[in-house]
Amino acid sequence: MTAALLRRGILFALLWWILSEGRAGSWGLGAIAVAVALWASVRLLLPASGRISVAGLFAFMGYFIWNSVRGGAQVALIALRGRQALQPDMLEMQLSLRSGAARILMVNALGLMPGSLGVRLEGDRLRLHVLDARMPIAVAVRALEARIEVIFREQP
Amino acid sequence: MIEIASIVLLCMGAFFYFSGTVGLLRFPDVYSRLHALAKADNLGLGCIVLGLALQAESLAVALKLLLIWPLALAASAGISYAIARRADALGIRPWRREDT
Repeated sequence: MTAALLRRGILFALLWWILSEGRAGSWGLGAIAVAVALWASVRLLLPASGRISVAGLFAFMGYFIWNSVRGGAQVALIALRGRQALQPDMLEMQLSLRSGAARILMVNALGLMPGSLGVRLEGDRLRLHVLDARMPIAVAVRALEARIEVIFREQP
Repeated sequence: MIEIASIVLLCMGAFFYFSGTVGLLRFPDVYSRLHALAKADNLGLGCIVLGLALQAESLAVALKLLLIWPLALAASAGISYAIARRADALGIRPWRREDT
């Protein structure tokens, strides 16, 4: 608990330092802002409620950034070639993610991965729109799901 | 050197924004337009904040610029999902090649 508070406090102080662009005179207000942020974060997300894997989070971020760059470049090329390059379809898949945060991360991240867009996640059924049905989207969705399972320490 | 890298990144950002907008105008239905907007604009914004951060006067200013990216990213991803979900709930069928 104390360690978690300390970690969050350092994070918020760093955030304040960035937002105030390093001005030394701003720390009076900054101390209040950090305290209020800390209070709100404990109210909204109890430190004990989610032990996430930091290594998993960094691995996910690397994977996410690389694939969002691929996704952006791909859709830019499709846009320049016009609609004859499209072959859209709706897919239905089974997801096994359980925790709320993991599911939210999943449907949101899908929209930035190459060729996929989360449309609906209800229970364990995921409905997604794909730009080009010839791309191996189902494999990519499984890979993304596996990485999110690692972050939230969920067993498949 | 940094100047050149910054200019290249800013031009790439402009290109991705441009193609995102082209996609918005050219794509046939709400779902494929969301792909174009969310993905291309996200990459465009990433290039632009990176290009501007290279020219920033201090580390804090550079980090502040870079912080804009995850915030906009979370917003655009969340909004895309919300719009797609609503379109699906309204029964809007995705465009398929056969219906041209």
